[in-house]
Amino acid sequence: MNRKKDIYILACLFAVTFYSCKHGEGEYHSLHDKIEAESKTYHDTTMTSEAFFNDIKTIEITEGVHTFLIPERKGQIKSYACIECHTESLDKLKSKDMKKAHWDINLVHADKNTMNCATCHNGNDMNNLNTLTGNTVDFNSSYKLCAQCHSSQFEDWKGGAHGKRIGGWVPPRASFTCVNCHNPHSPSFETRWPSRFNTEQIEESHEGLAQ
Amino acid sequence: MRRLKVFRSLVIDSIDATTKGSRKYNIWMGFLTFIMLVGMYCYSIQLDQGLSVTGMSDRVSWGLYISNFTFLVGVAAAAVMLVMPTYVLKDIDFKQAVLIGEGLAVAALIMCLAFVVADMGGPSVLWHMIPGIGVFNFPNSMLTWDVIVLNGYLFLNISIPFYILFRRYQGKVPNPKIYIPGAVLSVLWAVAIHLVTAFLYQGLQARPFWNNALLGPRFLASAFAAGPALIILVLAIIRSFTDFKIKNKTINKIALIVTVAAQINIIMLISELFKEFYAPTHHSESAYYLFFGLDGKTALLPWIWTAISMNVIATIILTFKKLRENLSVLYFCCFLLFVAIWIEKGFGLIVPGFIPGPYGKIVEYLPTKIEVGVTIGIWAMGAFIFTILAKTAIGIELGKIRYKKKS
Amino acid sequence: MSDNKKWYSLDLNFKKKKETSGSCGCGKTSGGCGSHNNEMTDDAFLEAAVNASIGDEVRKDGFDQVFDVKMDRRSAFKKLTASLLIGAGAVSTSCSVVTGDDSKEKAQIDWEEQFKGNYKLMSDKEKKGTVERLMRSYELRTGKNISMTSENAKEDVLFGYAFNISKCQGYMDCVNACIEENNQDRNSQMQYIRIHEMKDGNGFKFDEADDNYYHEVPAEGHFYMGTQCFHCDNPPCVEVCPVQATWREDDGLVVIDYDWCVGCRYCMAACPYDGRRFNWSKPEVPEAEINKNQHYLGNRMRKKGVMEKCTFCVQRSRKGQNPACVEACPTGARIFGNLLDPNSTIRWVLENKKVFRLKEDLGTEPKFWYFMD
Repeated sequence: MNRKKDIYILACLFAVTFYSCKHGEGEYHSLHDKIEAESKTYHDTTMTSEAFFNDIKTIEITEGVHTFLIPERKGQIKSYACIECHTESLDKLKSKDMKKAHWDINLVHADKNTMNCATCHNGNDMNNLNTLTGNTVDFNSSYKLCAQCHSSQFEDWKGGAHGKRIGGWVPPRASFTCVNCHNPHSPSFETRWPSRFNTEQIEESHEGLAQ
Repeated sequence: MRRLKVFRSLVIDSIDATTKGSRKYNIWMGFLTFIMLVGMYCYSIQLDQGLSVTGMSDRVSWGLYISNFTFLVGVAAAAVMLVMPTYVLKDIDFKQAVLIGEGLAVAALIMCLAFVVADMGGPSVLWHMIPGIGVFNFPNSMLTWDVIVLNGYLFLNISIPFYILFRRYQGKVPNPKIYIPGAVLSVLWAVAIHLVTAFLYQGLQARPFWNNALLGPRFLASAFAAGPALIILVLAIIRSFTDFKIKNKTINKIALIVTVAAQINIIMLISELFKEFYAPTHHSESAYYLFFGLDGKTALLPWIWTAISMNVIATIILTFKKLRENLSVLYFCCFLLFVAIWIEKGFGLIVPGFIPGPYGKIVEYLPTKIEVGVTIGIWAMGAFIFTILAKTAIGIELGKIRYKKKS
Repeated sequence: MSDNKKWYSLDLNFKKKKETSGSCGCGKTSGGCGSHNNEMTDDAFLEAAVNASIGDEVRKDGFDQVFDVKMDRRSAFKKLTASLLIGAGAVSTSCSVVTGDDSKEKAQIDWEEQFKGNYKLMSDKEKKGTVERLMRSYELRTGKNISMTSENAKEDVLFGYAFNISKCQGYMDCVNACIEENNQDRNSQMQYIRIHEMKDGNGFKFDEADDNYYHEVPAEGHFYMGTQCFHCDNPPCVEVCPVQATWREDDGLVVIDYDWCVGCRYCMAACPYDGRRFNWSKPEVPEAEINKNQHYLGNRMRKKGVMEKCTFCVQRSRKGQNPACVEACPTGARIFGNLLDPNSTIRWVLENKKVFRLKEDLGTEPKFWYFMD
């Protein structure tokens, strides 16, 4: 009688322990395995990120295995097409009696030995950019110019590790192109004040004022 | 039907007994009521303005309430130290002390629950925790285990003494076959409540200060020192204020329990200190903060060093049998131990767990007046409940309260 | 007063008491006391009623001696009693025939909201119901409309996030955007995101990092690392919640039902990443600044005493949009996407860059990776 009771109690204890130790998430060994297994059956979601582009006009590009959208550039340049002004030779435009357009551009990009205006611009074909080897590149594909030197950044950008994504995370993918973030004439980011300060800092500065 | 009648008369008699007493008793109860009201007032402010009136913050998100909760679970668990020999080993010495111990456990448990409720951000939705009506995240959350074991222990500690007192009240002898299984169960249960409470902290990989295997055993050792120490003090008070006879032998036996537990506790403390400071890692920073301070932040230093020195002094004195048997020395040591462990298992355990924060931020914690008010109020409530329980129990045991059959 | 049947179902005998006691709780014995005024608003009535009941008690057991300051004592008990009466008040007002339709509806909504179940266990219909109630309640209270959804997780989606520590410059635009998007409490300056400024060459020493910097950024010789909720795949916070008020959705988001949370803060202690925030007092957002495009699990208004945290902007991400922090980041350091889509940019980052996660040894499996150029 007693033994039966003991066994019963033990069985109950065992059941509780067993139930407690069971983990419902034991399907996969790690997050990596889970991603791998579950993405095998992946099919496109029905959502599209196009609604979040707002007014940004995009063009589709294909680089290697990656096909994605980038903002159209020519429409954003204030005085395109360039040849509307650049009808005369540069020397003449630089003379004093002509109206100035973008005379204040200061090239802060690599050193003078490496780059000057003619590295990217062709004085004879102002409407297009030109590569190091003298081939023509459309303003909309300006990234090709950057990619000549910045090959690792270019790789990252194609894959999506570099460059800001526009709209949403769902396909189609749209990313800013180089010149959307970097000024090609002065590509590095400037220092600035953060857009806000953290809580404790503000409290401390108030205390500082009180003293 | 007859039982209900007896029960009614018991309630009436006990109310009668608890509302009448000596002048000192009345002053004591009035004092407790006053403190409780102050506590309620503080709590009402907290209810109105939110927990921002406490010293807690996103950095140190548990404070005085949870500290006291942790400590009191230990006090409640300690009742077992008296239950075990009395009921199971039939040690006659403990028989009078055991009802007091269990009363203490009930009061401590109610205080525990009160502290947990006081710590809640939304006490009005606590029904979410009731199984059946709400959602009870069992067995994943250790907090649900704690709810089960605490309430179960409360039930055991109410029902066993109630059964015994109910029989005695009618002048009958309690049937050991009924209460001994309960007593055995409560012995196991007492270990469980403290171990589960330790697991509450021990299971958090985010907090290395808590996430160590010694936490549970150390909780038990310190509880079995602090709990019986409190019982000795309470017995001393009861002895001097009532006719309830408690032999010196009983007190000496409890003192032995306190001594052994305090010694084990010290050994574990040394082991912990060795691990933290012999080969300090990134995970020892909380201990560094606790014992030496970090970055000039030293709020806990006076507390923990007071606690450690009190603890060591008390343990050394208790170790000598001659000193231990001197009652006034014993009471002094018990007081030292109780306070030392309250600091160590409360403040000294909970607060450093949060310091430094997950990203190394050190924000110190100091309880506010409102928090202290609520805490003292809950302690007063515990004392109030215990006084009522003890007065009734002593009355019945002494035969002053007896069921009178109406003709 | 006696025809004014405001307390139908739960008449607490206030009126009777008042008649017998002959004075009301406001302490004045002569006329002019608010509770004898017939044209009372509901709130005033409740207050007066509570006052009255307390007033009687005061006379009985002499709380006057306990608390000298009359107003304090009374307001304290008023609060205590009032909190107990919330439910009762809701019932009685909803049963009332006298009060206006609006307040009746308000009370009805409050009642249903107070006793609704856990969102996690709700059917789609119930989810819709509570969302509609919350929208209606907001309209009744402020006269303005919000749009709230209860959109469920999409199939074949598992959200992941990557953070480029070479790119982040510490501008804090993400923090600003997050606060505005998610209606975070302005008083306590709650922020989900922290940007840690670290010294080059020191490694990841968070304890020496500064998340309170006050100078132009990027500072010379420093790099920046953002932390927020990492939406662990094995979240310790979810395990410890005693009431399952927080859970991991099928698309990997770790979310909280603000209405189900009891405020025990166990999850906060369990989170190794400082991902959770608690509303220590009532969160406040100026009406004009409230983002009215809300999700039940996301940026809807919280209340005092509950947890909240980053949800990867569930109100945006479930529609296909990027979270506010990703959209606001001027450097493109933040990358968000679907881990299950083999062609997604986040997958490319994970497969082609050297990525790592914080405190990986804890086994929490965060879905938030860091990488460098």
